[in-house]
Amino acid sequence: MSDAVYKVLVVEDDPHLAAGVVENLRAEGYEVDSVGDGRKAVEWFDTHSCDLIVLDVMLPGLDGFEVCSTLRGRGTTTPVLFLTARGDAADRIRGLEAGGDDYLAKPFHLQEFLLRVRAILRRWDWYRASARSTGSDVLKFSGNEVDFRAFRGRSWNGEIQELTEKEAMILKVLAEKPGEIVSREDLLEKVWGYDVFPSTRTVDNFILKLRKRFERDPANPSHFLTVWGVGYRFLCGDES
Amino acid sequence: MKRTRLFQLTVLLLVVVAAVQVGYWIYDQQQRGAEKTTALTRLYDEQSAAARNLVAAGVSLERARAIFPDLYVSATQAALAPEHQAELQSDQQRRLTQYLWEGGFFLLVLWSCIGVIFAALRAETRVLNEQEQFLALVAHQFKTPLASLQLSLETMSLRQLPPERSRALMDRMLSDLTRMATMVGQVLDSSRLSHGRMELKSEPVQLDATINRIVSQYLERAQTDHISIESQVHSQLQVQSDPIAVDAVVRNVLENALAAVAPVGGGKVTLTARAVGEEIELAVRDSGIGFRPSDQPQLFRKFSRLNAGAGSSYYGTGLGLFIVQRLMQLSGGRVSASSEGLGRGAEFLLHWPRAVEPASS
Repeated sequence: MSDAVYKVLVVEDDPHLAAGVVENLRAEGYEVDSVGDGRKAVEWFDTHSCDLIVLDVMLPGLDGFEVCSTLRGRGTTTPVLFLTARGDAADRIRGLEAGGDDYLAKPFHLQEFLLRVRAILRRWDWYRASARSTGSDVLKFSGNEVDFRAFRGRSWNGEIQELTEKEAMILKVLAEKPGEIVSREDLLEKVWGYDVFPSTRTVDNFILKLRKRFERDPANPSHFLTVWGVGYRFLCGDES
Repeated sequence: MKRTRLFQLTVLLLVVVAAVQVGYWIYDQQQRGAEKTTALTRLYDEQSAAARNLVAAGVSLERARAIFPDLYVSATQAALAPEHQAELQSDQQRRLTQYLWEGGFFLLVLWSCIGVIFAALRAETRVLNEQEQFLALVAHQFKTPLASLQLSLETMSLRQLPPERSRALMDRMLSDLTRMATMVGQVLDSSRLSHGRMELKSEPVQLDATINRIVSQYLERAQTDHISIESQVHSQLQVQSDPIAVDAVVRNVLENALAAVAPVGGGKVTLTARAVGEEIELAVRDSGIGFRPSDQPQLFRKFSRLNAGAGSSYYGTGLGLFIVQRLMQLSGGRVSASSEGLGRGAEFLLHWPRAVEPASS
């Protein structure tokens, strides 16, 4: 982690729980702000920004899923950790589809919560740092172009591609090691961390989306290659 | 429940099999009746031919008529007598009518049985679904105070806290426990009220004493949330109800008002009682978040939380107003609510029958 102080927004309507979360995050050295209402959370972003949102699902005004979708719709890519009393698989998936990064069911263990916060921030740190360290935030391969900072790309046929943060992060992980095999587990760990999704099949679905965006023939890919039983290999050129 | 359902399905299957069997019997009887009629007709035809042959062979008409009493025998013809023919036809018709009525009746009874069983199955499924939803919602409501308790305890175990911080955390935990105890009470009350297992007394209850006692219990919480509570209740006012029910109703309405005012950063709750004809009216007004007039019908439903989370989740289960309405109905009173809209406060009006005799206290 870098030495910068991370700023976290806690969106929780229960005053006790909000106070507990805020106090613990402050004790860990984060700069914390909190709001107790979905609409106020969206408004907060008009004038502020942060590195992580801890977001309750059952909120007055707008619920947590709606807050997340609204922010994603506005182009806010700040990672979101959902905190909710509803912890079944359907809700987890709904949260992640709304653009959430992780999901923690109430009641939760404090140390696990702090660990997840650290993990999300570490992943984003890695993403930003690696985007900077490559000298350029732009990846070019075979007529395709991807701007990792803007989450936007242009495919070989000139079409503009608006990437989701997960698609961009997967592409980043693969592009860091061109030609090398990256396992599904590695991708899950780096992009999502922990056991957020029920299976590694989720990764496969994201790879399919990337192929549709950037492959000339998605059925016979030349960049996003499957290594059966292991994971994926990314090739920059058309050497395959 | 699974066994009951299996039993009901078996009964249903048996009823269907019985219906098919009864249908077959009617069909079978009808077939046999038709065959019998055909055989009789053939017999009479043969007898008629024999009678004609006898007459042709020179037997006297009287003799032939004596041999075949059911036939009409003349010099030129012999056939079944018209009255016997009519009797044969009417017998066939009577049997058909009888089978149709009896079969129809049996089928109607069977159909009704099937209907009753289906209705019972549907009702049971609905009750099961409601119970499941209720349990899920109740469990969900408990998770937030549980999470807060766990967080406070783990914070104390993870960190070295100064005594004043520990004290604050302990107060928070006690408050969470109180919140959960309130929820348990509400869930139990609501369950008893839903199943009609609550028997209420009917006796004079001194309204001012009840209200003053409850208000004093909520003053501290109100002060914390910057809410002032004012009550104007004349000491002469007595309602005819159950003292515990009056206590629960006032408590829940006051809880609701405080929960509505807290999210707007504070305000005022007033309780005013007066006699209106044969009733006593208690008006509880608050300067809180209010509600849309169109949402009014949902207010008293279980778990209908119009402002879900807006502070109302802090102490509430979404059962409070449901309990209020059921208790008021059971004690012969009524409750209504009105608001001019979101952010414009709300007013709850409670009407009890006026006490018929002075309270003993």
